[in-house]
Amino acid sequence: MRRDATIGLLALIVAILVPFAWPTRYVIEEMTLFFVWATVVTQWNLVFGVAGVFSLAQMAIFAVGGYATGMLGLYLGWSLWLAMFAGGLAAAIFSALVGVACLRLRGAYVALLTLAITQTMYLLIITDTECFYMEGVTCRNFTGGTRGLTGYGDFGFHQLLPYKYTAFGDYFLALGVLCAATIFSVFIIRSPLGLAFQAMRDNAVYAISRGISRFKYQLLVFAASALFTGLAGAVYAGHFRVMGANTLYLSQTLFLLSMMIIGGVGQIWGPLLGATALMVVDEVLKEFVEWRLLGLGLMLVLFAVLWPNGLYGGLEALGRHLRPRGSRQLSAIQPKEMAPAQK
Amino acid sequence: MAAGNSAALLSCQGVSKYYGAMAAVRALSFDVRAGEIVGIGGPNGAGKTTLFDVIAGLQPADAGSILFNGEHVITASPQELCHRGLARVFQSVAAFDSMTLRENVVIGAAYGHRLRLMPPLVFDRGTLARADRALEAVGLRERAEVPIRNLPILDRKLAMFASALATEPLLLLLDEPVGGLNPSEIDRVMKVVRSLSGRGLTIVLIEHVMRFMVQLCARIIIMQHGEKIYEGSPEGMVRDPTVVSVYLGDATARRLSQLVAAS
Repeated sequence: MRRDATIGLLALIVAILVPFAWPTRYVIEEMTLFFVWATVVTQWNLVFGVAGVFSLAQMAIFAVGGYATGMLGLYLGWSLWLAMFAGGLAAAIFSALVGVACLRLRGAYVALLTLAITQTMYLLIITDTECFYMEGVTCRNFTGGTRGLTGYGDFGFHQLLPYKYTAFGDYFLALGVLCAATIFSVFIIRSPLGLAFQAMRDNAVYAISRGISRFKYQLLVFAASALFTGLAGAVYAGHFRVMGANTLYLSQTLFLLSMMIIGGVGQIWGPLLGATALMVVDEVLKEFVEWRLLGLGLMLVLFAVLWPNGLYGGLEALGRHLRPRGSRQLSAIQPKEMAPAQK
Repeated sequence: MAAGNSAALLSCQGVSKYYGAMAAVRALSFDVRAGEIVGIGGPNGAGKTTLFDVIAGLQPADAGSILFNGEHVITASPQELCHRGLARVFQSVAAFDSMTLRENVVIGAAYGHRLRLMPPLVFDRGTLARADRALEAVGLRERAEVPIRNLPILDRKLAMFASALATEPLLLLLDEPVGGLNPSEIDRVMKVVRSLSGRGLTIVLIEHVMRFMVQLCARIIIMQHGEKIYEGSPEGMVRDPTVVSVYLGDATARRLSQLVAAS
């Protein structure tokens, strides 16, 4: 627990200092986007890494959060601050339904179904051509169609902050959501609930034979991992003032999946580390756009084959190597409560 | 053992399980009284493990009825049966490999003891105490913090016992508890099973190691092709011509009859 707090605090301090140290719009924009993606992967990790359900629906869940927020703002005139939480809730409900749909499937079949869900959602949005309302002489679709959903405004930092600092608003909002999401995921992983998820992942039959209902815990893990994913979608929608189906591109899903795998699936800090690493790599590869996907693919394969525990697993192994007696303290049971057994 | 007059804890009547046209278990009936140790033997493919799968709710039965602790459980799910007091130890080592030994046992203590509507925020004292008692019962308390994948096979088997015990079951189903163990390890498991039985736990076990079975079980059921071909005492089993011809063989029967006579 103490180590988690230390790592988290250090990362937070760096993140707070960045916009003051490099107050360029480019850095702040890129970092804001990084916080959004990092939030998604820390939550995706709960389903994919901790509970071992190979769901690829995370970006669909993200999109539900973003679109719900935008639509509530546009059609019902809600403030995005309020709509944002409704978006998170909508994402959680949607995700729980995806979890139910996957109940009877295992392994790669879950990946296929959830990928199909994401693709279906993408197609439904880009083929939406029916006029939902007229804006002057322009026809607007319910979902925004290929143009994207716009016109719902933003979080209003332009009015709240002096011009020089307007970008700080979204930056710290996204950072706040990432912090809350990280604390939430650490808490879940370390809690009895996390232990039940890991039990399902490690041995599903053994887990049900020891009283862990697959239905209930699969539902819980899908819902839990969706709340902050939906909020991240809302922040994305509010930040760009447009929510588009491009969030549902397969390449986007793969990009985030790579973050998780390269950082370390199932590890607490793996996804964050992977997100950081990939944002840096992506920045470097921007010069060579045509190589971007190839580079990502190669890295994904290399890590999956050679370093399945990811960067974080590698660092941990290195740590154990340097400090042979340092025992792993990945436990849902607090050391204090273990004390009587160690006499 | 005051077994004779107490009602059956587990009662299977006419239980059948088909895989396509093949009957893995055919019209099997038997009772297990509280406090008993019952052994189930028979050649490979006789349907023993399938029978356990059906009793434990992992496979639905195609016919028959199963009464556990006075209630019909033929349609109960594995987790429901676990909460009602039926715990199973698997044939091949099952473990939650990313966890420590203690966490493995705590899973049983926390989720298998009774139905929880929502998981707790922290494990309560009672749960941790149940886990500790279970570890104590199999003699693994000192190794509690070891990652379970680093433990030798015997300890991993005993860890399954401990996680079953942590649910505080009424009935323990042991599927080949000593398969793949050496003689001294077998003796260690035998001791554990005896001590559990001594505390009043009811046990049904499947085993190919007949030495283990005849020394522990007062009553033995032998299955072949999904049917019961023998039910009775170990003494009767080693003299039963059908059992000797289809399963034991003459040499084993002779060796076992000496063992039965000695014990």
